[in-house]
Amino acid sequence: MFHKILIANRAEIALRIIRAARELGIQTVAVHSTADANSLHVKFADESLCIGPPPSKESYLNIPAILSAAEVSGADAIHPGYGFLSENAEFAEMVQHAGLGWIGPRPEMIRMMGNKVRAKEAMREAGLPQLPGSDGVVRDDRDLVRLAEKVGFPVILKAAAGGGGRGMKIVREKDQLAQMYRTASAEALAAFGNGDMYVERYVERPRHIEIQIVADEHGDVVHFGERECSVQRRHQKMLEESPSPALNEKLRERMGRVAVEAMKKVRYNNVGTIEFLLDERGEFFFMEMNTRIQVEHPVTESVTGIDLLKEQIRLAAGEELGRTQKSIALRGHAIELRINAEDPITFAPSPGLITAYHAPGGLGVRVDSIAHEQYRVLPFYDSMVAKMIVTADSRPAAIMRARRALQEYVVEGIKTNIPFHKRLLLFEPFVQGRYDTRTVERLLAETSPPAGG
Amino acid sequence: MDVEKLRAILAVLQGTEVTRLDWTNGQERLTLRMGHPPAPVTALHAVPAAAPTALSTPPQVTPVAPASPAAAAARDDSFTVNSPFVGTFYRAASPDNPAFVEVGQVVKKGQVLCIVEAMKLMNEIEAEQPGRLLEALIQNGSPVEYGEPLFRFEPV
Repeated sequence: MFHKILIANRAEIALRIIRAARELGIQTVAVHSTADANSLHVKFADESLCIGPPPSKESYLNIPAILSAAEVSGADAIHPGYGFLSENAEFAEMVQHAGLGWIGPRPEMIRMMGNKVRAKEAMREAGLPQLPGSDGVVRDDRDLVRLAEKVGFPVILKAAAGGGGRGMKIVREKDQLAQMYRTASAEALAAFGNGDMYVERYVERPRHIEIQIVADEHGDVVHFGERECSVQRRHQKMLEESPSPALNEKLRERMGRVAVEAMKKVRYNNVGTIEFLLDERGEFFFMEMNTRIQVEHPVTESVTGIDLLKEQIRLAAGEELGRTQKSIALRGHAIELRINAEDPITFAPSPGLITAYHAPGGLGVRVDSIAHEQYRVLPFYDSMVAKMIVTADSRPAAIMRARRALQEYVVEGIKTNIPFHKRLLLFEPFVQGRYDTRTVERLLAETSPPAGG
Repeated sequence: MDVEKLRAILAVLQGTEVTRLDWTNGQERLTLRMGHPPAPVTALHAVPAAAPTALSTPPQVTPVAPASPAAAAARDDSFTVNSPFVGTFYRAASPDNPAFVEVGQVVKKGQVLCIVEAMKLMNEIEAEQPGRLLEALIQNGSPVEYGEPLFRFEPV
C-alpha cells in the first residue's frame, strides 16, 4: 500500500481524496496555487506545498512543479482527481517514470479513450454497440440515400470539421435528404472551410446513462451499476441519480455485462466510466469513456455502500478486487445536485465572497464541499461550490428529501443555482422520471422562475 | 536529455552568435538562451508541448511591508527574493563549495544567489536587483514552495 499520496487537484475532490486516504492510514500532500493557500483541502492535508500562481496553467497543470513537489515531499503516489491532469496520458507516464504510483488507469488506456475515433474503434471491436452511422464521409447524394436508409430515419448530418452544434441538420424524411445535405455541406464549407459530412441515427430523446467500472491490475472487472446524467445544460451535467428510472433489471444487467466484457477485452484497470446514449426504444450506444473518478461518483457510493476512492487507491496499489458481480447490489435511490456559483436564470458565473453559509444535514444528506462562511469562490477555477447527495429508500422519497435539504441550504454573498434545482425538483417530467438530455431546455422555456427567486 | 548531451550542446554554442536555441525531440524540449548577462539555462525533460516552460520564471521580488507601526518608525525598505518554483534549496553549487552569498555581502544584479533543484535540474536563482544580504531565510537542503521567501536584502 502507498505511504504518502500527493493530490494533484484542488477543492472538494482534493478533500474527498484526503478523507479516503486518511481512512486507509495514508499520509496526504496537498499542492495548491497562491490563491488556494487558505483552502480546506490545504488545511486538512498532512502537508502542503504551494506550486504556483493562481492560473491553472501555472499551478494545477504545471507538471514540473507537481513532480518536484512529489519529490521534495517524499510522496510515493499521485492522485489526479478529475479535470486538470487526470486524463493526461503523458503526465501519467511521467509519474510512473519517476517511480511513483499513478492512481488511475494505465497511460495507454487514457490515451486510447482520449481519442474519440480510436476509442469508438476499440470499443466496437470489444463488442460495445455504436450509434448506426456512416463510418466515413458521405461521398455524394446517392451514397447519402443509401447510408440514411441503412441507418434509419430520422438521421442527423454532421460536419466532419464541426463542433458545438454547428453544421448539424436533422432529416426526418428521405425526400428532404438531398436538399438538406447540400445546405449543410455549404454551411460547413463556409464555417469550417471543409464541406465533408457524415450521417448518424438521430435520437429524439436521448438519455445519458453511464456505467461505473471497477477493475484491478490482474484482469478482474466488475461494474457498480449505472448513473443517469440526462439533466444537462449545454453538455454540463447538473444532477445525477442512481439507479436510472429508465432502466429495468434486464436492461441494467445487459448494459453492465457488455461493459464489463469490453473492459476485460482491453484489460482495463482501476476505475472508469463508460457513457452510453439510451434511445426511446431501450437501445444503447457507446459514446465515450472517462478514465478517471467522476464528479458524480457519490451517487454510486450511496447506493452500493462502497467507498469508490478507497477502492481506487487500493486497486492502484495492486490489491485484488476481491468482489464478485453478484455481491454488488444497488439499494435505495441517490440523487446528486451540483451547487454552482452561478446566476440561476442566466447561468453566468458568480464568483465572490460567501458571507453566510449553512449546509443541510439530517438522515441521508451528504454534502461534499470546501465552502464555508468567508470562503471566496475564485474566478480562476470552475464554479462548482458543492455537491449535495441525498439517499432514500425510493426515488420519490429521495426527491422529497432533496427538496427538504435545499430548503435548509443557505449560501449568501454569491448567486447559486439552488433556485434552479428547486424548480427542477418540481418539474413534472423530472418527477415522473420521464426526462432526457433536452429536458432542461424545455424546463427553461416552459416555466418562469418563481417571483423573488 | 542527459547532462553530457546538454554540456556538449553548450560547448558547441560557446563563442557563437547564437542567443537562443529551441530544440524538440519527441516529448523532449529544450530552450537555451545565451548572451550577457548570462540568463539561467532552462531545460525541461520530457514535457508535453502544451506545458509551460515553468522553470524559466524569474525569481519574485516582494517589498516587505512594515510589521507594525513601531517597526515602521525604524526605516524598513528591505525586500525578499522568493522562490520561483517548488523544489529543494541549496546555498552553494555543491557541498564542497562556499555559499554563493553570505550575510552582509553586497550582490549585483544578475549575481547567482542560490540553486533551487526541481526535477533533478539545478536552477540558478539570480538577483533581480542589487542589495546587501540581511538574512538567509531557508536552511540549506530544505524544500521550498512557490513564492516562499529565500533571502532578505536591503537596498544599496
